[in-house]
Amino acid sequence: MKFFKRHNNVLPGFGVTLGFTIFYLSIIVLIPLSALVFRTAGLTWGEFVTTVTAPRVLASYKITFGAALAAAVINSIFGVLVAWVLVRYRFPGRRIVDALIDLPFALPTAVAGITLATIYSPNGWVGRFLEPHGIKVAFTPLGIVLAMTFIGLPFVVRTVQPVVEEIETELEEAATCLGATRWQTLVRVIFPLLTPSILTGFALSFARGVGEYGSIIFIAGNMPMVSEITPLLIITKLEQFDYRGATAIACVMLLTSFTLLLVINLLQKWSRRYAE
Amino acid sequence: MSIEIENIAKQFGTFTALGDVTLSIPSGELVALLGPSGSGKTTLLRIIAGLETPDSGRILFNGTDTTQSHVRDRKVGFVFQHYALFKHMTVFDNVAFGLNVRPKETRPTKEEIRERVSKLLRLVQLEGMAGRYPAQLSGGQRQRIALARALAVEPQVLLLDEPFGALDAQVRAELRRWLRKLHDEIHVTSVFVTHDQDEALEVADRIVVMNRGKIEQSGTPDEVYEHPANPFVLNFLGNVNLFHGRLQQTGEQPGAGENAVSYVRSHDIEIDRSPQDSTALCAEVRHIQKLGPAVRVTLAIAGSPELVEAELTRDVFQNLGLQQGESVFVRPRQVRVFVEDYQI
Amino acid sequence: MSAPIHTVHSNKSPTGRAQTEPPVVRWLLIAAALIFLTLFLALPLAAVFSQAFEKGLTVYLDALKEPDTLSSIKLTLITAAVTVPLNLFFGVTAAWAIAKFNFTGKNLLITLIDLPFSVSPVISGLIYVLIFGLQGWIGPWLQEHDIKIVFAVPGIILATIFVTFPFVARELIPLMEAQGKEEEEAALVLGASGLQTFFRVTLPNVKWGIIYGVILCNARAMGEFGAVSVVSGHIRGMTNTVPLHVEILYNEYNYTAAFAVASLLAFLALITLMVKSIAEWKVRQQLENS
Repeated sequence: MKFFKRHNNVLPGFGVTLGFTIFYLSIIVLIPLSALVFRTAGLTWGEFVTTVTAPRVLASYKITFGAALAAAVINSIFGVLVAWVLVRYRFPGRRIVDALIDLPFALPTAVAGITLATIYSPNGWVGRFLEPHGIKVAFTPLGIVLAMTFIGLPFVVRTVQPVVEEIETELEEAATCLGATRWQTLVRVIFPLLTPSILTGFALSFARGVGEYGSIIFIAGNMPMVSEITPLLIITKLEQFDYRGATAIACVMLLTSFTLLLVINLLQKWSRRYAE
Repeated sequence: MSIEIENIAKQFGTFTALGDVTLSIPSGELVALLGPSGSGKTTLLRIIAGLETPDSGRILFNGTDTTQSHVRDRKVGFVFQHYALFKHMTVFDNVAFGLNVRPKETRPTKEEIRERVSKLLRLVQLEGMAGRYPAQLSGGQRQRIALARALAVEPQVLLLDEPFGALDAQVRAELRRWLRKLHDEIHVTSVFVTHDQDEALEVADRIVVMNRGKIEQSGTPDEVYEHPANPFVLNFLGNVNLFHGRLQQTGEQPGAGENAVSYVRSHDIEIDRSPQDSTALCAEVRHIQKLGPAVRVTLAIAGSPELVEAELTRDVFQNLGLQQGESVFVRPRQVRVFVEDYQI
Repeated sequence: MSAPIHTVHSNKSPTGRAQTEPPVVRWLLIAAALIFLTLFLALPLAAVFSQAFEKGLTVYLDALKEPDTLSSIKLTLITAAVTVPLNLFFGVTAAWAIAKFNFTGKNLLITLIDLPFSVSPVISGLIYVLIFGLQGWIGPWLQEHDIKIVFAVPGIILATIFVTFPFVARELIPLMEAQGKEEEEAALVLGASGLQTFFRVTLPNVKWGIIYGVILCNARAMGEFGAVSVVSGHIRGMTNTVPLHVEILYNEYNYTAAFAVASLLAFLALITLMVKSIAEWKVRQQLENS
């Protein structure tokens, strides 16, 4: 096997650094993750299917994936808008806004969770205006969408932003010179250029939402069958010492994540297809 | 220091960068490795430096095999194509780097280093620039700093990869002359890579013409220019103005001459109003293009589909008073004949 | 001929651009974006501090001085102090191997390094329970020898290392790749040793990339909730990190104290964003200079 065979190069340290990289990767990531797969393999196929398709589990998938999808859609629309505004327009406070975009990356999820729950609770800053209209956010599935939108917000902005920056003015000028209206230029020239990055951002935001735990549990209400997300279900099973159940559901989640990761990688490859 | 290159071969995946190259570079010479891109010249230079390891063959410095020794121990000066100056260091620190990284026992004192660096900066005519950062220098200045940095460790061999490649025409011509002068002063064995025949012809003591991982010819500039070993060398050194013509029975032919092709440089073509001798061919003036001091005339040979380009000086052109569409006689002054099956 | 050449990329000012939207459209779009960001970012941030100081400074300070809070701060600092250096060392080593050399399997390796980002935090904690927990692979052996990993500090540290694993590496790999290896080769030709080359040439060039990676790694290490929650066991004053302590206070309806402690983390997030912005700017500059 010619894996990890280096093609000659005079820089030193290849063996040592690659060796350490693989060693550390194995003990921290690969071996622990494989433990999950091996533990699941201890179940029979029947047990596995029964566990991961129990009504309560299915309901949790529906909530988790449904909310993550909704959040990813919201983030795609507003993410593109924010990226466009930040790159193309100048307004006071632009730099601060730009820096603040990454807040969901930097703010611990527990803090985000209790804050969102407080703001959107019936007597919170925003919740009190929604309550009279019969809109309940906190402790409902809507709250889950809200939390997932918050934590996934930077992904679309940060994948689309550099692409907007890279668009050459000449491209738009060329389109205009050829007689295109501004709207035609946007739809036919700019939007196709942004599509791969929007899809990548969408997938990243979706993947993040599916796995999220900390910011959601405070606002979700956590009612089984209604507002209980899959990661929480895993923890519940674990607390009931139902290790097999927890492991089986976790395995399904893990497979989903890997599939999403694969999709994201393919999307990124696709987005580079015109690169020189 | 002399360099012997013995049967060097190098493969990158399925691409043969160098196939069995043997070359000897005498001490103190300034040698140009000349060839088109992909000819293996840069690979050969990097193998001499020790930046690449050959698949087979040996490199000898002054008769000692250095194939296995590390770049660090080879004592070569290497000037990279894009200079590879350390961006975060001042010009002074860049030039002093090779001295500063020596082990304590052999490292010169701070004072000595300062002296050596300022001497080198004087040599490359950039005395006032010691405190600047690379980003604050022009291309030509960076080039000279890269050279000073390479010379600071007193290398036995100086290797330069496309030293003038990234510069604009005027700076390029200036630096070329300057490098030649510098070499005459310090006489360190030097090898530089270039794809520009003028550069090689002007600067080098010896030109090694390379193509497809092989050496086509090696010799002084006069030798390779006057007596090219094959059509490739002629083509590459001939200002690209070629005369493709099948020579008929004219006596100058080699024995089995039917399939031979003869090549004539464009400035070796004479144009006359009347036939001077039996080698003259009838032709029609198709196009006249003035190129500064010279004039390029495109001619169609009667009875042949080929076009011929001739380069005349302005004087000759004016004396002839050529007009487009006129019929004239052309006569090759110097013809080189090569057997046709040679692949360019 | 001595004009500096790094003006090429900068100055992408959109003013003077012939192609743009009418002012009305422009301001409508800006307004829409800002309203969205206010609702989702500015408001929560303001809420943290407002709730924390709702009952005045003394209450705020008292909440922070509480022994359980102090011990959770201590545990969080310890966790970060172990995690960040380990992942920094790993990130730099991995980036060297991946960015400066070509080898088969490189893309696979990069994907594997990124894995922890795509795994749910809950699973990141679970896998360590499966190995070190009582019902885990080596749990019984650990109990025999009286070594506690899960529901103790080592478990918290392990889970934190897992979730922050890719930060430094994924920042450094593209940066070091973009910088190529010509400068390193130049240093070697000039006689520098491998370590000299690394410390004098490579490191200064990726300094800001490292700072960027470290600050993000640190923010996540100090703020991780899900993974740590699974392995911690929630023992007050023993295995509670700051985010876990926030949860406990909140669930006890001690909102002011919860937000007081949360404000520490929010403050950390703000500092992180600041350093990150500076580092980003510096990295851009470095890349433009090369």
